[in-house]
Amino acid sequence: MQELIQAAQAALTSKEAAFIIGYALTPDGKKTRPFIARTPDEAAKLVFNHTCAHNLAVYLTRIAKPKEGKMGIVAKGCDTRAIVALIQENKITRDQVYIIGVNCSGVTADVTLPFGADNLPSKCIMCQVQVPPVSDVLVGTAAPYDKPKDAVTERMQLLEAMNEHERFAFWASEFEKCIKCYACRQTCPMCYCEQCIVDKTVPRWIESSASLRGNFSWNMIRAFHLAGRCIGCGECERACPMDIPLMLLNRKMGMVAMQQFNYRHGVNPEEPTLVGSYNMQDNNEFFK
Amino acid sequence: MQAMKQFITTDEKLRQLVHALSKNAWNIISAGKEGTNFIYINDGKDLVINADSKPTKLSAKEFFFPKTEPLFFYKKNHDGVDLLDPKDVLRKTVLFGVKPCDAAAVPVMGKVFNWDYKDEFFNRRVEQTVIIGMACSYSDVYCFCTSTGLSPESSKGSDVFLKPAQNSSYIAEAVTPKGEAFVVEFSSFFDAANENDVKLLLNSPKGPEKKFDANQVKQWLDGHFEDPLWNEVGETCLGCAQCAFTCPTCHCFDIVDESCGYNCGRRVKNWDGCQFGLFTKHASGHNPRGHQPERYRQRISHKFKYYQDKFGEILCTGCGRCTRGCPVGIDIAEIAQEINKRNSVLV
Amino acid sequence: MENIYKPELVEILDVIDETPDIITFKLKFKDPEYHKEFNFLAGQFAEYSVFGEGECTFCIASSPTRPDFLECSFKAAGKVTNAMRRLQTGDTMGLRGPYGNYFPVEEMKGKSVVFIAGGIGLAPVRCVIWNVLDLRDQFKDVTIVYGARSVADLVYKRELEEWKQMPSVKTVVTVDPGGETPDWNGEIGFVPSIVEKVAPNAENTVAVICGPPIMIKYTMPVLEKLGFKEENVITTLENRMKCGVGKCGRCNVGNVYVCKDGPVFTYKQLKELPEEY
Ligand SMILES: Cc1cc2nc3c(=O)[nH]c(=O)nc-3n(C[C@H](O)[C@H](O)[C@H](O)COP(=O)(O)OP(=O)(O)OC[C@H]3O[C@@H](n4cnc5c(N)ncnc54)[C@H](O)[C@@H]3O)c2cc1C
Ligand code: SF4
Ligand code: SF4
Ligand code: SF4
Ligand code: SF4
Ligand code: SF4
Ligand code: FES
Repeated sequence: MQELIQAAQAALTSKEAAFIIGYALTPDGKKTRPFIARTPDEAAKLVFNHTCAHNLAVYLTRIAKPKEGKMGIVAKGCDTRAIVALIQENKITRDQVYIIGVNCSGVTADVTLPFGADNLPSKCIMCQVQVPPVSDVLVGTAAPYDKPKDAVTERMQLLEAMNEHERFAFWASEFEKCIKCYACRQTCPMCYCEQCIVDKTVPRWIESSASLRGNFSWNMIRAFHLAGRCIGCGECERACPMDIPLMLLNRKMGMVAMQQFNYRHGVNPEEPTLVGSYNMQDNNEFFK
Repeated sequence: MQAMKQFITTDEKLRQLVHALSKNAWNIISAGKEGTNFIYINDGKDLVINADSKPTKLSAKEFFFPKTEPLFFYKKNHDGVDLLDPKDVLRKTVLFGVKPCDAAAVPVMGKVFNWDYKDEFFNRRVEQTVIIGMACSYSDVYCFCTSTGLSPESSKGSDVFLKPAQNSSYIAEAVTPKGEAFVVEFSSFFDAANENDVKLLLNSPKGPEKKFDANQVKQWLDGHFEDPLWNEVGETCLGCAQCAFTCPTCHCFDIVDESCGYNCGRRVKNWDGCQFGLFTKHASGHNPRGHQPERYRQRISHKFKYYQDKFGEILCTGCGRCTRGCPVGIDIAEIAQEINKRNSVLV
Repeated sequence: MENIYKPELVEILDVIDETPDIITFKLKFKDPEYHKEFNFLAGQFAEYSVFGEGECTFCIASSPTRPDFLECSFKAAGKVTNAMRRLQTGDTMGLRGPYGNYFPVEEMKGKSVVFIAGGIGLAPVRCVIWNVLDLRDQFKDVTIVYGARSVADLVYKRELEEWKQMPSVKTVVTVDPGGETPDWNGEIGFVPSIVEKVAPNAENTVAVICGPPIMIKYTMPVLEKLGFKEENVITTLENRMKCGVGKCGRCNVGNVYVCKDGPVFTYKQLKELPEEY
């Protein structure tokens, strides 16, 4: 990936970027993981391949902002949506980030298995941004790949066909499994609150126990806090050790935002956020 | 040392055993299909005994140290408060098909729950449970039991240990007195094994290759509380508790009150983890481990040094779960390997 | 089943407002037998609970030489401490303990003692002070240096006066510059410089020091200059705790569990630990 390395080295050498958040190979050479390059030498380790599933935008709000220079980041098309969303939410400004957009040919769902139609995360199956829409420099090539039917969409249809009792029972059985590890929150680029509502103790809004009651409040409140904000990267579901289908919730919220308000988050950095704006033409039907 | 008492049983007999246990009101837990999770069963046909299966998502620790457990209940009345111990009566429990990396974790955790003060919440569950361990022939890139002093055939922590033999039979070793009593109580499902039976044993599983030397890791940790390595490995950690909660040996917990109204409620013990930023934060705002690399250093140091200093055990059985599930691919075995490398450079 | 997490019930006998945000509770076990058998040593701590809110850790601020009641002084900092602030005389709380190690009062006998405290750091020191004063003839010189941000922030004001009146104790109370009131007759200045001024003799002397990290940081070099050896300077740590009994894994500093192996450490011991407190 010479092109990527050159772009990163150029940004570091010119001091345009203070560091580059990217991917590097693990020592076994078989997979990648997040890596922060601070020098041109370190940037030589950067790679991009089918195992680069992580949405690195999560680090933009976790890492200390540099005193000089921008935060450089390697971003797939889907990841740039998170960056744009963070700009829309005033967490970062466009000129604080230096985006090395990578043209993407899909990533794996399970990094230990070969890339292919049967090893694709839902985000790649549904992907419409193989070429990042926003970037400061664009590298790589986007090759077409076979996309199977999206299992999440199918499951969603099943869920929508259920009545409310069935649906409640479905979610109860899923949330029962939650262990409150907060991996969903920690991997989510849009979960950046300095103090998350689950950690507030005076008063305590959400029981910290991983009991059904505490789990319901946690998972539902997180879904609500991401309504119209989730950019669909699927990191939460990928991180969840208990395989809870969190994307079903997030996808639904996104669909409602689209149907009711014709809004999609993380597309236009200039556009006001859905929750942060009011429009007289907004659909008010749900106030009953 | 007295030779371990050996018995022979079969797949069919174990399924019948489930039936007998169920009739006697035992709690029966088996590793789930495809190793997804442990499940409660009542019917022999649901028993999963599969040496090849992938480790379950959650380890078996939840049966000894549940993710949330009531410590007592309180009721306020006009002249004070009444405190009531949890009244739940634990049923006798049997855990089938526990892998060596899960079973070994039980006595390892037992050390911290029993030095000086005794945590009877943990102990009573251990006492009520018969752990039927099983040799493991699964191994993936994440497994490293052989680097933590265990092997796919370690019976540490098991009460009864099964090794697969020909014709869907198993050689069962009664490892502890509790295990022996269990086999005796259900002797119709276990026959004494003779020399010929033992010859039926399948070849020992090879297990994962040894990835690092845990003693050398400890040696390095003894002198490297401050080291650039911590920033390198901890900088990208996102600070969740996936690694701690899925780990069979992590035992940290929080204690919180939950009310069910103004006058009553309970105090519970909930899983907690040292990678959370709030874990050590003082009420004053001061945080002894204020940054992720410091928290990650705690994780590695606790596993390979502190616990050994204090309790003589490595706080890791090499199950690989923390790495298998880490959203950013942080690999504990690889870090130990890296430490080994740095150690040999120094020596 | 023995339940190490279940507290005993205590009744609040008295509520004393020390400063705008520090309160002292006087407590007695509801079960008189239990109260009689409850033994502790200066420096130990306990887990106090408000049912429905949770537990938190405070040192036992009263002296074992005064067994009629227990005292704790706390600062409203978070969930439980704010709930405690709303409690009144006659209310019921929970208490488990005593936990942890203690100040080596036995070994201090026959020696001089210097107490240095800042802010609410006087709470754990106060129990040793009374312990020593109640056995006054078994110790040589006793010096107390206590400082707070302002006059309003001084805790145990009545006792400070009492100590000042005692001819057998040298008591110096100071407030940070700017924290004095027009009628303030004590010292003005930060604790480290006052210690330097008081210049206690290090010969055969033990120093007990507790306060904000910044105060300790600047007082240590002063003590060193005065000739105090690290093994004769004793302090107490406040790592965050939950269980208090070496189980929950929260309080460790390296391979030391502060709740079991501490909270009392000599400076020599602290220097050997990783800096994680
Ligand atoms: C051995 C030992 C002895 C001690 N002795 C004393 C003593 O004598 N006196 C004393 O006063 N203290 C003492 N402490 C400290 C005391 O334990 C803590 O102050 C107390 O536990 C705080 O409990 P809490 O439930 O009120 O705070 P918590 O609610 O548990 O608050 C803890 C954390 O939450 C944060 N937090 C709390 N509330 C809020 C909020 N509203 N918004 C944002 N963040 C919040 C805090 O910053 C802190 O990180 C001692 C500690 C130890 C370990
Ligand atoms: S909620 Fe999940 S899918 Fe949505 S932005 Fe966060 S991590 Fe991505
Ligand atoms: S990642 Fe899954 S198990 Fe963990 S808190 Fe989120 S929903 Fe629960
Ligand atoms: S699972 Fe990974 S990201 Fe989460 S705390 Fe553990 S090491 Fe860090
Ligand atoms: S530290 Fe990781 S590999 Fe070791 S026992 Fe825990 S989860 Fe398994
Ligand atoms: S590694 Fe962390 S979470 Fe696990 S037992 Fe140690 S301190 Fe606790
Ligand atoms: S407070 Fe729980 S281990 Fe020390």
